[in-house]
Amino acid sequence: MTEADRETTLDRKLLELLVCPLTKGPLIYDQEKSELISKKARLAYPVRDGIPIMLPSEARAIEE
Amino acid sequence: MDRHQVFDRTLVLQRRLRALKQHGTSADFLLARAADDLEERLSAVERRFDVAVDLASHTDLAAEALRRSGKVSAIIRIEDDARFLTGASTGIVADQEVLPLQAASIDLAVSLLSLHLTNDTPGTLLQIRRALKPDGLFLGAMAGENTLTELRECLIAAESEISGGVSPRVAPFADVRDVGGLLQRAGFTLPVTDIETYTVRYDNLFALMRDLRAMGVQNSLFGRSRKPLTRQFFMRAAEIYAERFSDPDGRIRATFSFIWMSGWAAHESQQKPLKPGSAKASLADFLKDAEKD
Repeated sequence: MTEADRETTLDRKLLELLVCPLTKGPLIYDQEKSELISKKARLAYPVRDGIPIMLPSEARAIEE
Repeated sequence: MDRHQVFDRTLVLQRRLRALKQHGTSADFLLARAADDLEERLSAVERRFDVAVDLASHTDLAAEALRRSGKVSAIIRIEDDARFLTGASTGIVADQEVLPLQAASIDLAVSLLSLHLTNDTPGTLLQIRRALKPDGLFLGAMAGENTLTELRECLIAAESEISGGVSPRVAPFADVRDVGGLLQRAGFTLPVTDIETYTVRYDNLFALMRDLRAMGVQNSLFGRSRKPLTRQFFMRAAEIYAERFSDPDGRIRATFSFIWMSGWAAHESQQKPLKPGSAKASLADFLKDAEKD
């Protein structure tokens, strides 16, 4: 794995146990945007340097 | 302000970040002690854990203790700011009161010296229990009763003397029996609590307060007084502290106590009481026999 891969790829194990902190619902990983999307909460949580930032205050609101 | 909110958690985080920036981990001796204790306690547990989560233990010390224990395969650290995520473990940034963890997804949860700063401690413990797989273990320590009891007493005495009233200056800490009840309420099986008390000696009150600042644990209570304190106030508090709590060599004593908690997520292999009515011997018969003897 190259350095760049490591930055954008989330650990698989980590992905399996993460849920949206607000709804406890599932998350979809958008590798391109480096975001974890909670459809139920309509929020996109950023992943920075491989670290998921699971704070609603840091998340982007998704418009329908 | 919600009346259930005791701690201003935004301020708690700001103070911890400032402490990290200005003092690094220079005042982490209490954490180091707790981490050693964690390793020892874990060594007494006869099993291995696949995925361990370290919940808001401030530094990498708890994760290192887990690694040294040799009982854990993967360690994930959760902190409320990425700047605390140093070291080799995988990290998640999240509020420990609003955990982003799938139900029944982890095998071990540990937490050192941060649960006492949660506003919703029962809710946080419940979320930890839910994140654990059946037969998963929670092992944690938080500051408890008697922590900084001397400081609390001296600040109250100095403030009432000088301003004729008092305001909350030292956080309220849970007592060990309450914490046992909280574990039970959160649904942990075989809950155990105990308390470890340490006395740290300082030259004076100012040295103690320097350490508390370096730990980032200054007063973060919503009910705190916003009035700036005078030099006179601190001088008087230091005097009272020296009068009431000093050793013959003039150094003052400060108490820190950690409440250790352990509890398991329920699993059928665990010991449990028999169902009512399932007894094979009658109590009446036993009592009759006992009377005869």
